[in-house]
Order: sequence, then structure tokens, then C-alpha cells
Amino acid sequence: MTTWIIAAETGVGSLVEQARALGGTVTAVTVGNLPIAGVDSIVAVELAAGAPVEAAAPSVAGAVTAQPGDVVLAANRPAERVLAGAVAAKLGAPVLTSVKSLAAGAAQVGKAGGIGLEDVAFDGPVVAILDGGAQPAGEVPEAVTFGAKDYVATVSAIEQAEVEAVNLGAAQRVVAAGRGFKTKDDLDLAGQLAEAIGGEVACSRPLAEGLGWMQRDQYVGVSGQVIAPELYFAIGISGQVHHTAGILEAGTIVAINNDETATMFEDADYGIVGDLYEIIPQIIEALE
Amino acid sequence: MSVVVAYKYAANPQDASVGADGTIDWSRAKPEISEYDPVAIQLGRNVADAQGTELVGISVGTSALTHKMATRNALSKGLDRALLLGDDGVATWSSTKVASALANMVSKIEGADLLITGDSSIDDGAKMTSALAAGFLGWPCFQEVTGLEKTDEGYEVTQSIPGGTRTVSVVGSVVVAATPEAVTAKNPSMKEMLAAAKKQVDTVEEAALELAEAPISVTGVAKPESKVRKNVLLSGSDAAVQLVAALRADGAL
Repeated sequence: MTTWIIAAETGVGSLVEQARALGGTVTAVTVGNLPIAGVDSIVAVELAAGAPVEAAAPSVAGAVTAQPGDVVLAANRPAERVLAGAVAAKLGAPVLTSVKSLAAGAAQVGKAGGIGLEDVAFDGPVVAILDGGAQPAGEVPEAVTFGAKDYVATVSAIEQAEVEAVNLGAAQRVVAAGRGFKTKDDLDLAGQLAEAIGGEVACSRPLAEGLGWMQRDQYVGVSGQVIAPELYFAIGISGQVHHTAGILEAGTIVAINNDETATMFEDADYGIVGDLYEIIPQIIEALE
Repeated sequence: MSVVVAYKYAANPQDASVGADGTIDWSRAKPEISEYDPVAIQLGRNVADAQGTELVGISVGTSALTHKMATRNALSKGLDRALLLGDDGVATWSSTKVASALANMVSKIEGADLLITGDSSIDDGAKMTSALAAGFLGWPCFQEVTGLEKTDEGYEVTQSIPGGTRTVSVVGSVVVAATPEAVTAKNPSMKEMLAAAKKQVDTVEEAALELAEAPISVTGVAKPESKVRKNVLLSGSDAAVQLVAALRADGAL
């Protein structure tokens, strides 16, 4: 069998690891020349000058000639999901998401926002969406190139936001803010606590999407960042399943909320019922 | 041209419960238009209005999808008409098969050159429907889209990317998944709700479509083993001090 890895960037270490665990040969199909280490072969799809990665979907779909029993892996990032969708449509293959475990012909996946698990079986090739991970280390095989008639699209402008992109996945300590914060400026408090413990600031979905107080890559939840830091503060977060499904594997969870009925307390190791505006400064003081 | 929006009729897992054997009980969860799909409908409405063209809603789901309350609800949000596949068998379809049906249905809408979906569904949140449907249509796809404008040769798509946004000029047809904050979905007025009852709803049967089966079978269910949490509630005026001491004792700090 062959495991195919679709890569639009080099952060595919977890995919290479999964592919090796499955056994067989491992082929990376890359958009542009990416040095993907630890695989047996690389098929590089050339991207037209100025074209977005998504435009190369026909070439990627053409390059992945998966047979029954083969597995196609892609990282859970927008452009790679698009490429994986094109591959699955061409192969007529099912797509696995929220994958807990993956073996030949079978997998366990999370269902309904992570509240349930399903064991599934399949005969043909399958496409699985996993967390990409870091850049893999090791030998990089020489690439062969492949091209098909791709879509015509051009990136005509890029606007940088004033904030830096954060990498929540790599953070060992995370302070997440929720609707309990009354204004955007109050998020400074969460920032101060994060600084005091040497961590990153994150948020629940409404702060990133409804209110726009934080970046989209900062929200934790089943459809956002799924993370496993050693220490996680959920402050002013009620604890809906969409959020908690993103931190199931976190080490120690601390919940702070003025509502003692918040379900976040059920998923926490330590909880303090009270006003976050009083408690955060007290924690920072206690840390000093 | 026609603008097409694919929406999902689904229930929120927050209202479902899981038995010890892993079976999900949806009986107390009421299905509705999936949380982020009204944004897709509104974005489609804006593009359709700017072009003076129609906005068609499509959906594939169980038979509940075609019930009057469900169709009126969807149509009141700004669709001109709907094309639906409602069949209880859909519950066991793979997402690939559902997307192949949606793509088939787009092909049945004359002049369709734009398919919009929401960011993710309220139940599974896989973010794959737009990508799969695009694969079947042979159209490019862009996710995390915050803005959309028709151009002479296709569409100009504004997309959220890590650290900012970018604009992509696309020649020809396109599929986009809108971010939840792309536009603000309006609540339908009483007039729009009444008008929805008179709008055209067509249905299509599975047999009339050429579908990719992409079969996948469920061989078992289980309840996720959640980590056992300590559930220690700290109180008193020195709760913060107790917390820091406990975290240090655990080696978490």
C-alpha cells in the first residue's frame, strides 16, 4: 500500500509519522518545491506564478493515483482541505475528519463535535484530515514533477493585519478568554496572566468570530484550534462542548467563571467561582 | 448567472446527549439551519442583488429538511427558491456522497457559476463540503472567505489567511466557504417570513442524480474517554493563592 501526503507547506511532521505507522511506501505530493523529509518519494506540482495553492487542485488530484487500500493524508488547514476535497472527489473516496486513530481499512473518528466516537470501516482508498504538525526531519528524496491543467486564479493583493500570527499548537501554557470579558480592552488582563506564566492568549469562538476581538487562529474549539497544552486557563468561558472538545487532551485545566453552573467547571481540574476582574490580578500577584 | 448557496439542516450537539455505550441521543435536539449558513445565504443575497440575479438554496438531508417549517425558515433568510434532496437514507451517506449530490444539483441550476457554503456545520464541523463539492464540479474552491465580488471574467475573492487577508482573482466559476463574520445575517422580517411560504421549492430524488458512493460503514460507537478531572473548587479570599500553590504542587507551573 501507499500512503499519500498532500502538502502545501512543510508542517506535515504528524502526517509523516502517521504514514510510517501505517507501513508501506510514503509519497508526498507537494504544491511547489517543498523539502518534505522522511518520505520515500516526492511528486512536486508546479504552481503558476502568482497563483494561490488552491488553483493547483486539478494537478494534485491527478498526481494522487491512490488504489484501494491506500490512504491519503492532508493537514487540517484551508488550502490543504481544498486539495484533499479535490482528491477525494476524483477518487470517489470518503473523507475522515476528527480522526482519533487510523489503520488499514478502519478508523475511529469523533462525531457531533466530539461528544461521540465512531468506529468506521472502508474498502476503497480513504482521505484523512489530521493535524499537520511540525516540519519533519530526515532525508529529503529528490522530487519528480507533475502538472495538469490547473484553475486560473491570481493573488492580486495581500494585506497584513497588525497582529502577528500565533502558534497555539506549540504553546505549553494557554490563557483562553471568553464572553465573561466585557470589552476588548479588558483582554489585557488575560494577556498579563499569559505573560506571567509564559504562555499564549487564546479565546472561545464568539470572541474571534462574533465580536472580532481576536484573530481566527486564536480560538480554541472543535472547529478551531484543537490543542493540548500542559496548562490551560478557561476564563469567562461557559464550557460548551464545541469549546471543550478542543482541549480534551490538555494537561491541567483551570476554570474561572462568575457563574457557578458553568459547565466549564465539570471539565476543569481547578475552578474558582468569582469575578475574573478580581481574580486574575490576585493570581498574577500570587505568582510573583 | 445564478448564485447558489448550500445549507445544512442539523441539530446542535450541545443539545444532544451521549449514552454510556456511545449512542448519541438527538431526541431533545431540534434541527435548524446550521449556525453559520445564514451568513452564506446573506453573502449570496448581496452578490445576487448586485447582479440582479436569483439566489437558489440547495440542501441534502433527511426528510425533515423538506418539511414546511424547515423550508420556510430557509427561504425567509433570503433565498429566492430552493432545490432539496430530503431522504432519511442520507443519514448514512458519507460526506463525499452528500457533496456529489450537491454538485449534481448545482449543475441542474441554469447559469450557476458561484456556490457558497457556510464556514462549517454545527454538528460535525468538518469544513469539507465546499472542498468536496468543488472537486465534483471541477471548480476552484476557497475557504475562510470574507468578501466576494463579481468581475467580468469571474469573481474576486477576499480570503482570510494567517496574519491578514488576501485577494484572489478567479477566472470562471468558483466555490467559496464564507467565514462567520463575512457579513451580518439579518433576522427575517414578518413580511419575509410570510413571503417564504409562497416561494418555489423543488425536490430531487437520489435516483435522478449520478452520485459517488464513497461508502463508509459504522462498525461501532463509543463514548470518548475523557480525562478524569480533579474538579476541585477553590473558594475564599485566598482562592487565587490556593490555586497557584496547587498548580505548583502538581508541577503545572
